Amino acid sequence: MNTNLKISNVTKIYPGCVANDNVSLEFNSGKIYALLGENGAGKSTLVKILSGVIIPDEGEIYLNKNNLKLNSPLDAKKNDIGMVFQHFNLFETLSVFENLIIDSDEQRESLREKIDTIMKKYNFSIDLDIPVLNLSAGQKQKVEIIRCLIRSPKVLIMDEPTSVLTEQETSELFLSLKKFSEEGILIIYITHKLKEVMQLCDEVAVMRRGKLVSVSEIKNENIESLANKMVGQNLKTIKKKKAKTSSDQLIKITNLNFTSEDPFETNLMDINFSVNRGECLGIAGISGNGQSELFQVLSGEIISEKNSIEFNNNYIGDLSPQERREFLMAFSPEDRLEQAAIPQMKIFENVALNNFKSSNFFNNGLINENKIKEHSKKIISDFNVNTNNIELKSQFLSGGNLQKLIIGRELITSPDLLICFNPTWGLDVGAINYIHETLIKINEQNKSIILISTDTDELLKLSDKISVIHKGKLSKIMNAEEVTSEKLGILMGGAN
Amino acid sequence: MIIDINFIGLIIASIMASAVPLILASCGELITERSGVLNLGVEGMMIIGAISGFALMTVTGSLIIAVFGAMLAGVLISSIFAFLTQTLITNHVATGLALTIFGIGISAMIGKNFVGIPGKEFPVLFEGLKDTIPLLGPILFGHSIVFYFAFALPFITSYFLKKTKIGLIVRAVGDSPESASNQGINVKLVRYACILYGGAMSGLAGAYLSMIYTPQWIENMTGGRGWIALALVVFSTWNPIKILIGAMIFGGLTIIQFHMQAIGVRIPVQFLTALPYIVTIIVLVVISRDSRKIRLSTPSSLGKSFHKDN
Repeated sequence: MNTNLKISNVTKIYPGCVANDNVSLEFNSGKIYALLGENGAGKSTLVKILSGVIIPDEGEIYLNKNNLKLNSPLDAKKNDIGMVFQHFNLFETLSVFENLIIDSDEQRESLREKIDTIMKKYNFSIDLDIPVLNLSAGQKQKVEIIRCLIRSPKVLIMDEPTSVLTEQETSELFLSLKKFSEEGILIIYITHKLKEVMQLCDEVAVMRRGKLVSVSEIKNENIESLANKMVGQNLKTIKKKKAKTSSDQLIKITNLNFTSEDPFETNLMDINFSVNRGECLGIAGISGNGQSELFQVLSGEIISEKNSIEFNNNYIGDLSPQERREFLMAFSPEDRLEQAAIPQMKIFENVALNNFKSSNFFNNGLINENKIKEHSKKIISDFNVNTNNIELKSQFLSGGNLQKLIIGRELITSPDLLICFNPTWGLDVGAINYIHETLIKINEQNKSIILISTDTDELLKLSDKISVIHKGKLSKIMNAEEVTSEKLGILMGGAN
Repeated sequence: MIIDINFIGLIIASIMASAVPLILASCGELITERSGVLNLGVEGMMIIGAISGFALMTVTGSLIIAVFGAMLAGVLISSIFAFLTQTLITNHVATGLALTIFGIGISAMIGKNFVGIPGKEFPVLFEGLKDTIPLLGPILFGHSIVFYFAFALPFITSYFLKKTKIGLIVRAVGDSPESASNQGINVKLVRYACILYGGAMSGLAGAYLSMIYTPQWIENMTGGRGWIALALVVFSTWNPIKILIGAMIFGGLTIIQFHMQAIGVRIPVQFLTALPYIVTIIVLVVISRDSRKIRLSTPSSLGKSFHKDN
């Protein structure tokens, strides 16, 4: 049976912000719809309205011509609307099966049979009796999907589903979504990743600042046209100028090893590379192949042998991050809110955390607040952080603004080397462009970058040399112009 | 020296009897904490139960009214805590401490007229079977109904949490109230119910003390048992069966150290008095060392207020 979902003149106003401004949209089953927009464009609000989490100020929702009153998530469930949130709604300490039975009225045995059938049909394999906290992000998402499928939904909404997935898991997800769509489930896919829209969807609706900007078929669009609609202006295409080949070596890693006691970490084996001044070394790989360990070894969170890292003719392998900073290294870790900044602290306090001896942030153990604030204001204006309130807690900054703040904090001391790990993870196009421009600028100033990233496009765009990490081992270092994304893909899979 | 085997049985029975109020209050608090609520008012709720039970027994003469009245009193006083922490979103720790202070104060006030009044005899079950089996006879038979209930309670609690739908919902709420709310579970209702249940069990524990264990009213007669009950919940890592073990060790050492003092063992009295506390904690820590199991049974949202935005 055909499913028709209609959103009619939906408006939701928050103090100081119109999250949804008179949005009307219509969806029909058999197609996969993308809802595209930057962070804060209002797409999450719209889907939360569809799933009953938020009640709109105005507007109606119709499913197959029936006017739905969605006052709670339960109402959405009853009306066959399933939703997989970006942040999973799972109970970590309960088993997978307990997570699934909790909102089901069925008997244990019949539910178990039903789940088994679903898993067989879509080729999922998850142990139902282990606690959810032992699952990978991709498996957790499958549990959420199964939870929706149990109720045989007419509509399935996926909110930024790939932000926590590896590439392998992403392609598995796309296969499943296509299958669901063929079976008549109406799929609404929320994302800000243009490539995914092109790969997966049939139709795309673009939102910007709470308004619906356009609805079109994918075949009439390309990545550039969608990006421009999303951002609302013509994006500059960033191209890196070929760096002048310098032979002035800045950092050299020799026979670096790391053996972890934690079975969930990857051991690093015999890492050797060097980076010259003005160069960007990209390190590609599927996440979980030792990137985070490599970053920690380079940043000094994990101490290694003194001689294994030579920086500017000093052996620094046994120094702490703080001491390495004094040698003009700078770091931008992967997890912005967990590792790079403290969410509950104000912007200027977070800036002060990057405490250089030369920065004079502290006098005889007392905080020199004026100095820090002055410094923070400079970062905010130099790096285009979209706020003028340095007293704001950093958890309220969007991902893009926080990343700009962190990179700004690291760069304002003009370090010789910046090591960053997935710097544009989860950011929207505008912010990604800004970060990329900044990184290119660093290289132009004859400073160096080590860019550890899982985004191959980003690496090909920014790197001068590229290596691939697989199971804790680095491939040989290649010149970026010799490398294609196919070649990287093969190396990332572990082939030689 | 010949030790009468029935005498050992009697000692074991007296150890079990002293464990009863701990088991009752701990199992109640365990349910409360499993839903994510930390109620430090156990001592206060227990003493309210103790005075309510004793007063009702003296005034009405009915043991049934007294026992259920004590549980109701526990429910009432815990409903203050529930209203404050769930509806007015106050801090669990501060509110719980206040509840204890309040309970001790008000029980002393009500209790003034009941000091020195002798209690009533509480009926025991299977009295006649006591002498039929050596050793086991005094252990198994001749106890009050509350005693039997207390020793069944850890198993009932365990079954409830593991096997029933409502138990699953309680655990889910304690794990992630946000997710539970998004699944359409009424988090506040569940937490209210768990707090009131904890209150009822603490009230019953208090009534056991003032009506059965030492049938009289003495000011402050709970003597810190509420705090021990709280500690048992944590050190048992929210496992009802381990609560039973912990309560038995604590009760056992308390009784044995009395006997040791009586025979005049040359160990400082202070050390003997402290012994049950130290040993109970050490044993529970040692039997609950599996960090994976701790992670799985600790309610992640314990003590954190939940309020639904938007």
